[in-house]
Order: sequence, then structure tokens, then C-alpha cells
Amino acid sequence: MTSPDRRLRVAILGSGNIGSDLLSKVMTSDLLECTLFIGRNLTSKGMVRAVSMGIPVSDKSIEALVADPDICDLVFDATSALSHTRHAAILKEMGRSVIDLTPSNLGRMCVPAVNLDDCLTEQNVNMVTCGGQGSIPLAKVISEVCGGVRYIETISQIASRSAGPATRVNIDEYIGTTERGIREFTGCPRTKAILNLNPAHPPVNMQVTVLALVDEPDLDRLVPAIDDMVERIQAYVPGYRVIVPPILENGRLAMMVGVRGRGDYLPAYAGNLDIINCAAIAVAEGHARLLGERSASAPSDPGAEGGIA
Amino acid sequence: MPEHQPAAANVRADCLAALGSDAGRFAPLAGQRILVTGGTGFVGTWLAWLVSVLNDDFGLGIELQLLSPHAREFAERVPELAGRPDIETIERDVRDLGVLASDVGYVIHAAGSPDSRVHASDPLRTLSIIADGARAVLEAVSEQPDIRSVLMVSSGLVYGNQPLDLERISESHRGGPEWNTIAAVYAESKRYAETVSAAYVSQYKLPVVTARPFAFIGPYQLLDKPWAVNNFLRDAIHGGPVRILGSADTVRSYMYPSDMAVWLLAILTDGVPGTAYNVGSPDGVTLRQLADAIVSRFETPPDIVCRPVGDQKPSRFVPDVARAQGLGLELTVGLDEALARSISWHAARTGA
Amino acid sequence: MNKKLLITDVSLRDGSHAVAHRIDREQLAAHAAAVDAAGVPIVEVGHGNGLGASSLQLGESLLEDVEMLRIVREQLKTSRMSIHVIPGFATIERDLHQAIEVGVDVIRVASHCTEADITERHITFAREQGKEVYGVLMMSHMASREVLLEEALKMQAYGAEGVVLMDSAGAYMPDDVREKVPHLVQGLSIPVGFHAHNNLCLAIGNSLIAAECGAYILDGAIRGFGAGAGNAQLEALVAVLERSGYQTGIDLYGVLDAGDLAEKSLLAVVPTTSSTSIVSGLSGVFSGFLKPVNRISAEYGVDPRDVFFELGRRGVVAGQEDLILEVAQALSKEKGGENA
Repeated sequence: MTSPDRRLRVAILGSGNIGSDLLSKVMTSDLLECTLFIGRNLTSKGMVRAVSMGIPVSDKSIEALVADPDICDLVFDATSALSHTRHAAILKEMGRSVIDLTPSNLGRMCVPAVNLDDCLTEQNVNMVTCGGQGSIPLAKVISEVCGGVRYIETISQIASRSAGPATRVNIDEYIGTTERGIREFTGCPRTKAILNLNPAHPPVNMQVTVLALVDEPDLDRLVPAIDDMVERIQAYVPGYRVIVPPILENGRLAMMVGVRGRGDYLPAYAGNLDIINCAAIAVAEGHARLLGERSASAPSDPGAEGGIA
Repeated sequence: MPEHQPAAANVRADCLAALGSDAGRFAPLAGQRILVTGGTGFVGTWLAWLVSVLNDDFGLGIELQLLSPHAREFAERVPELAGRPDIETIERDVRDLGVLASDVGYVIHAAGSPDSRVHASDPLRTLSIIADGARAVLEAVSEQPDIRSVLMVSSGLVYGNQPLDLERISESHRGGPEWNTIAAVYAESKRYAETVSAAYVSQYKLPVVTARPFAFIGPYQLLDKPWAVNNFLRDAIHGGPVRILGSADTVRSYMYPSDMAVWLLAILTDGVPGTAYNVGSPDGVTLRQLADAIVSRFETPPDIVCRPVGDQKPSRFVPDVARAQGLGLELTVGLDEALARSISWHAARTGA
Repeated sequence: MNKKLLITDVSLRDGSHAVAHRIDREQLAAHAAAVDAAGVPIVEVGHGNGLGASSLQLGESLLEDVEMLRIVREQLKTSRMSIHVIPGFATIERDLHQAIEVGVDVIRVASHCTEADITERHITFAREQGKEVYGVLMMSHMASREVLLEEALKMQAYGAEGVVLMDSAGAYMPDDVREKVPHLVQGLSIPVGFHAHNNLCLAIGNSLIAAECGAYILDGAIRGFGAGAGNAQLEALVAVLERSGYQTGIDLYGVLDAGDLAEKSLLAVVPTTSSTSIVSGLSGVFSGFLKPVNRISAEYGVDPRDVFFELGRRGVVAGQEDLILEVAQALSKEKGGENA
């Protein structure tokens, strides 16, 4: 690795909405630079936009990386679960780190506020789902603070306009992956995920509710612990905020958060797409900081959670 | 019983039988390179089988290129043909076709899913693949040094609803699909693609012929497709009951795909540039007759359920194929035989 | 006339809302046997929001889905057993496979009335399994007839054998039925259905108009046993339709007997059009919100009618019960602010 102050070079696989929004976020990061934006169709909206921003592009899909493995330090995969299965094998062989935004369920699940550091040594990390990014940190706090957590449930509301054809056809995978994510991060054996699409005009923001059955709901400790966690998330998802702080209602522990997007490439109501992209960027910036520490013996900045300008 | 033979051998035999004594008409294709877009779909797969037979049994030496964004899946679906030196798959979206290999002399543009579920769930993509795909193909062809013929695969749906009192729809029928509803996305973009063709023909004098396919049944057609005959076959293979939805008096016709492949290749070779040809069976059958024909092929015929739903309007979709017959094309497989072969192919596949 | 209609009894599914999803074994078995004997063609069973919907969000079922289906299955000799399936709650892998194993005959795949494309995979799967499949557009008062037809056409394309318009909030006026139902009958090649709620006491009237407008599938519930103010009362629906010259294939005495039985054993309270139900209908909020809105409003000391109107203003859809908490808390704060 060359100069100590160089940015982490990332390639973005997938030129759809997710890939395009990631590109916007990379452009505003002090720690990242996009060295290749990769799709299949040079005339697609995302590719044309990337070209107009002066970003190097390729329509050769994963083969572009095979042909020039050193073009990047890290890859974002924003294609589809099916494509990622193929990409994962190739990238593993190349030894290139990849952050997977598809519901492929292959790599280590990562929610930066909870397990960022553990994930920086993984070659393949998976960003779970939008609902998982919103709910898992809260569920994790519940499982740590309250005794006897028997069941955790999460309900996400997203604006209909933010759910494209791929999201709609993959709704079962969304549910399965989110439920698995909550189980794995909290150890709670029974979990449930529900997704509601709301078509209201103007489009609604993403909202995430977490409900739980717990034997010892210690609200006095839970409320500040949730506040701390929300602050950690806000370091990389600026639009994340509490709507209903933890309460007990009808025997259930309940809380609700809202996610308004940064409005980079996607509209601000699409907090569901924003939160997963913000999380992916946080992972890449974690890599960038490691790189900085390794290549220079310059003092690191252990307190920084984000770095998003 | 055909169940005991490998399904692939049957498909090969089907192609050979459909060619009959007429393989000589394909002599102009000898040594030529043919590009098929949508090359790994239903149409492309059957064309690949036909070309492999023309090469193996008649020594034509055709080089076939199958272009598809799902090219990788071809080896799984049709392992018998994958890896043949005369068949090359190219993984690419047709809209990003770019430049053709300079020795491509023939092009068959068959990209675009006819699955109405896909049209309903992703109408914008459907429109883009058909409309932009046609432009990309014709643009590439217009730069080609020695193009012999281009076949644009359109759809029988461009005629709109067939009048019930019109027995068969001919190429000169002047109807048209609806245009401002989700149900029109496929037919209307196919119609637009035909207009795009006409513009390229006019401006670049390209040798373009058009095929308007109707309905087919046979191997490689998935039984989950939302069409009557596929569903009847699936229900019957599962032991029934076979359910007729909508009016049992609705009339359809079905062509066996080996005939389809021969017809398409013949229209590519011998079709008159600037002309459209219906491709399908002219022998109409009501859904009731179709269901009867299917269940009668089973030892214990499954029940047929026809829910009485009041005033269901029947529809009709049967081509007049006189124009294709003018090229010397005939149907070699009747409906009963097509159903029998479909059942045995699917039975062999599912191990039933 | 002599026109045949297809009647679905939704008591054991929609009625689940009325008792906070606590229908027990004996109740399931007794009612299923009674309506089977009466010749009701389709009997729908399950949690009020359908398969896989038992949750803290919507209320936990007393019995698991599979168990409910098994109990009813045993009682049905001629009636077909139906389930309600909303993608986003029920998944193919976790829920549908099981239901099919237990022996469900009819699968009604539902979405909010503008979101039909989330039903593609579930409808396709059910068709592949050889099941009778319908599409359901919930909360259909929230969309124009043009939008409803577009969404219904999608379900038709996916393989639905009919599309049912649900007036989930009981918000339809008779003219809404006259406007929407014929538009779908005209535009689809498959039958159209109508599912009424009685918030404005129009359930039977609206159902009859729907039949006159060409609807083929009508839903009813015993004594109206359904969410909110209840559904079209099954016994009355059968009586009124037969009197009007339609054929339901249901034995009148049989269904009247089922009604009497249900009043004794199934219904804790016969659904009525309460004040809050009327407001729920006027505000166009899902009927299943009635119980949680009443409970949470009482906890926060706010007027449930205000909560309903605010939820209506926000355009909440079925399944968004979590927003009741948010709205009640906000209203309570507002109130507190005034008092302070």
C-alpha cells in the first residue's frame, strides 16, 4: 500500500438505485474514493450519471474486476442475491473484501453500531436488510439490558415508492433474513419480522417498531441505553431518531424509530435504502481507517464513529 | 414408452422429424454465423437444437451465438448443447448489444419475456427491453458489412383482441392492442418495435422480416407460465383436478416447438424482407376440448372443473398462416401429438 | 335471473379480530361443522390478518395457524377450506407450505389495494400447488376504480381466479360499490368479489348492490362476526340474495341454525355498529384497529375518535397497528401541553 494519506479505493458493482446512492455517499466521504462503477448497460441511468460525474465505469460486470484486480481495495455488491452468489466465489479467490447489500445471506452479518470491529477482518460482510439495520441495534440493547427476553418482533413501514420490483418480489427473503439477523445478534430464539408498504402521498418516512416479550423489563436502564445506541447509529445514519421511546404497553415492551434518508441520490423518504447504504459506507470507512493505521504509524482516531461529512 | 428415453434424445428426434425432407432449404445458412438474442429462452433453445441437428446430420457448419443476460444458466437447462464448439453463449443485455462480430450474417431477435406476470410486475423494464432492445439490434445490424437477413420476433398480440366472428387472424388484419393500461405494455411495445423495424428498413434498406408468434406447447416451456395449456398440463400431471378459468368456450391454438423452430429459421432464410409472418397453429380448440384432450391422455383421467362464473366472455386467438404456407411451411405435429410429447417430456423431467 | 354466486364464510378469520384472536378449539370445530352442514361453499380460517400474522403487533392467536386449520379440516365434508395470506406477514417457506400440507383448498392472497405486485410470488406458488387462488385488494376505498382495475389486472396476470375488493374499513357508500365493482367486472376476464364491513350499517345493502353490479364472490360472517362493526351478516346475506333471485347453494335453515349456535358458543358479543366503529368507517381506517385503538386510547386518556381521525389522516393501511401508539402518545402530549 502506497501513500499513507490515500483514500480507500472502492468499486461499486451494480448501477441501479442502490449503487448510484452508494456512489453519492462515497463522493462525500473523506476516506473513500470510487475507482470503478460497474454495471451491465452503459446507457442505463446510473451509468450515464456516473460518467457525467467523471467516475471510471465498466459494463463488464464482475469480469471488470477479474481483469484488473488491483483497481480497488474493496467492493460493494449492489446487484442481486443470485449474482452475488457468483461474485462472492470470484472475490474470495481474488482475496478482495466485499460488502454485500443483496439478501444473499452469504457473508458475516454486519450492523455497524453493534459489530463493526468484528467485521473488518471478514472478507465478505452482509448488510442484512433495511429493517435489520433499523431494528437489530435496538433488539441488541433489549437483550443486554432486560432479563428473560422470550420473543422479539419488528415491524417496518416503508413508502411504496421506495420499494422497487426487486424488493417486492423478494419480500419473503426480506422477512427471513431480518428474522435470522435478530436471532443471531440477540440470541433470542423466537423472532418475527413484518413489512408494511404504505402508499400515502406525500411518501411516508421509514419507521421501525420493535416489540418484545421480556420477563424483566428494566425501563430505567433501558431508556438511557437505547438513547446511547441511537446516538451511535446517528453517527453514520444521520436521519435515525426515536419516535416512541421504550414503554410497556399491554404486556409488551415497545419502541419506535423513524429513518429519514440523507437524500443523496434517492429521495429523503427512502430511509430504508439510505440506512443500509449508510451502514455499508460505515463499514468501508472502518476499512479505510484500518488502512490508514497500517500504512502510516500516524495516530488513529479511535473515537470517530462516522466520518461522514 | 418415450419415458424411458432421455428427454434430450426426443427433442433431437423432434427437430429431425420437423425438418422432414426439407432440410435443403437451409443450404444458404451453410458456414454462416447466426446471432440469436434472447438466445437461451424457449425460442432460442429450440433454435439451438435445430441448428445442432442441421450441423450434425446435414453438415451445414452453422456457427450459432446465443445472447442473453442469463447465458450462464444455459449449461444447467440444456447441458446437452452447452459446450458444443458450434454454439457460443454471450452473457449480455440486448440493450447493450454494441457491435456484432463482423462475420454475423443472420440475426434473430427473440429477446423479451412473454410472461404476463413479469409485464405486470415490472412494466418499465418490459418496455425498455422490447423497445430499446429492438433499437439496439437494428442499430448494430445497420453497421454490419454483410448482413443477409434479420428476423424480428414480434407477437400475435399486436393485433389486439381477435374479433370473435373472425376465425383466423391474418397478417393484414388491422386491429390493435389497448394502449393505456398495464395489460397493454407487452403488446404495445411489440407493436412499437415493429414500427422501429419499419423505420430502419426504410432508412438503411435492411433485410428485415418479422414473425408474429401465437401459442406453443412442448418441451422447455415451463408449466408455471400463466397460460391455459401450461396450467392444464401441470394440474393433470399433479393428478388434477384440471381447472378451467374464465370461459370454457375460449379458443386457442397450439404449435409444437420443433415446427416453430423450423418455421422461424425458414422465415429468416426465405421470408420476403419487409413482410410479417404469423407463426402458430391454425387449428383452433376450445379450452374445454383442450382440457378433455389432456385428461384423456392419462390412465386415470383427472377431473375437469369448470366454475360457473356467469357471463364470462370467451376470447379467440388463432392465426391464419397462409402466408407462411406460401413459403412451403407446414405443421408436422398435431395437437394430440404435441400434448403427448409435452406430457412425456415433463414426466421424464420430474421423474414422475 | 337465477344467477349463481360464490359465498365465503369469513367468521373464523375476520371474526378473530372481534375476540382479540382468541377463538378456541371447540368454537372452531362447532362453527365449521355447522356451516359445512349448511352447504357454505368456502370457509375461511385463521388469524384476522391471515396466515403468519399472529404477532404482538396484531395480537397473538390462541392457537397456531396449523392447529386451527387442522381442526376445521376435520369438520369439513363438502365445504372448501380457505386461508387469507398477506405477503409481508406470511411467507411461502414458513407458512404456506404448512397450510398446504394440512389440506387447505383455497388461498386468497391479499395486499393493500395499491400494492398488488407483492402478491406475484405467493399467487404463483399457490397455483403451482394446484390450489384455488384468489387475489384480494384490501382497503379498497382508498383507491380510485382505475387504480383498482390496474392492480386487479396484475393479480389476474399472476394467475388469480378472481379478485375480491375488500371494504376493510366499512367506508363504502352504495355509490362507491356502483362505481367500482362494475368497472372491475368490465375490465377483468375473471370473477369479481366484494367483502363488506358494517361500520356504516351498509354491509348487506352494499353486498346486494355488488351482486347486482356483477360481483360473483361475496363474503359474509355469522351474525356479522368480524372486525370492527362486523361483516355482512351471513344468514341475512343468504336470505336477501335468495329473495332477490340469486343462488347461493346454501341451506337457509342450516345457516340460521349456525347463527343461533354461534350466538351461544362463538360470539362473546354480537358485533354492533358502535360509535367508534362509525368513526372508524368515516375515517377509513382498517376495521381491525377497533380493539387496539380503544385499549390504547384508554391507556393514554385520549378520545378514540380523535385517534381514528388522525390515523385516517395519515393514510395508515392494514397491519400498521404500531402507529396507534405513536398517534395516541402524540395526542396525549398535545393534551398535556394544553393543560400545563
